[in-house]
Amino acid sequence: MTSERNRSKRSSEIAVGDELPPFDLPVTSTLIVAGAIASRDFMPAHHDREFAVAQGAPDMFMNILTTNGYVSRFITDWAGPESMVRRIAIRLGAPAIPGQPLRFSGQVAQTSRDGDECVIEVAVRAANELGDHATGTVVVSLPLA
Amino acid sequence: MADDELDTLRARLEEYVGKPLGPSAEAPDEVNLPMIRHWVDALDDRNPVYLDEELAATTRFGGIVAPPAMLQAWTMPRPQIEGIAERGGAPGEMGSDNPISVLDEAGYVGTLATNSELEFERYLRPGDRLKTSTELESISNRKTTALGQGYFVTWITTYTDGQDEVVGRQLFRILKFDPATIGAAR
Repeated sequence: MTSERNRSKRSSEIAVGDELPPFDLPVTSTLIVAGAIASRDFMPAHHDREFAVAQGAPDMFMNILTTNGYVSRFITDWAGPESMVRRIAIRLGAPAIPGQPLRFSGQVAQTSRDGDECVIEVAVRAANELGDHATGTVVVSLPLA
Repeated sequence: MADDELDTLRARLEEYVGKPLGPSAEAPDEVNLPMIRHWVDALDDRNPVYLDEELAATTRFGGIVAPPAMLQAWTMPRPQIEGIAERGGAPGEMGSDNPISVLDEAGYVGTLATNSELEFERYLRPGDRLKTSTELESISNRKTTALGQGYFVTWITTYTDGQDEVVGRQLFRILKFDPATIGAAR
């Protein structure tokens, strides 16, 4: 919550191959429920362990809106408040469940210019011990600088 | 399953492709600060453009904007909590005239989300009131997967604002599978 938080990346600082600072999310039941309810998703699989297990899941699991929310946060924590997320495309894999931290990692795959903006494509991955929870691409733009 | 039975199912499913999937829907509330704050705290997302009016005003956004990934949250149907588990998690009663119900009835009762693709034309601001329309984009041929035999079902939801301008889109793909066919011969 300092000036560092409010600083945006300059587009000239970003190059293909750059790694984003990895981010470890300690996934708990509370965190999963908080995300489900903030996204108004009341599916029992996202708050009721017994229901989820009866459906064949190892535990209650994170909903997709929350996954997209954390992917977005991972990108904008790096790029800063001037960045605008244009696209989040993910393939969904292993569930995110309590007690299994998710590690977010990303790498700049491509940059291009669109008018007075720099468009950055980041390859992202969120994984836990079960495997890849989400893999895909985020497109984010920054004013050219 | 006999081949002609399979063809009948495939033909029934094909009828839904390119057509609306469910009625268009209007968000129960406009984009608003209390729901943004709830989300910001739940995901501990401290990007100042979501809540810090002063700072947000100095950015390209010119003021507070909603977290982009909240797009779908604004138009989630109001849930009927009682019976939600019995409905398999559906927020309300689902009609039977849709490809998901057709697949459920044919034994493809398992559901696994496989892809989500969100596109944002602009960030939303408090006061935006969204509407959605959803179209069934495609249904695959029957596939043999690690979970059993099934069909990939893909739909696209388009989000529009009060001026009917598109603000975002979401492609969503699920696998509807028959758990009884797991390990079936390929």
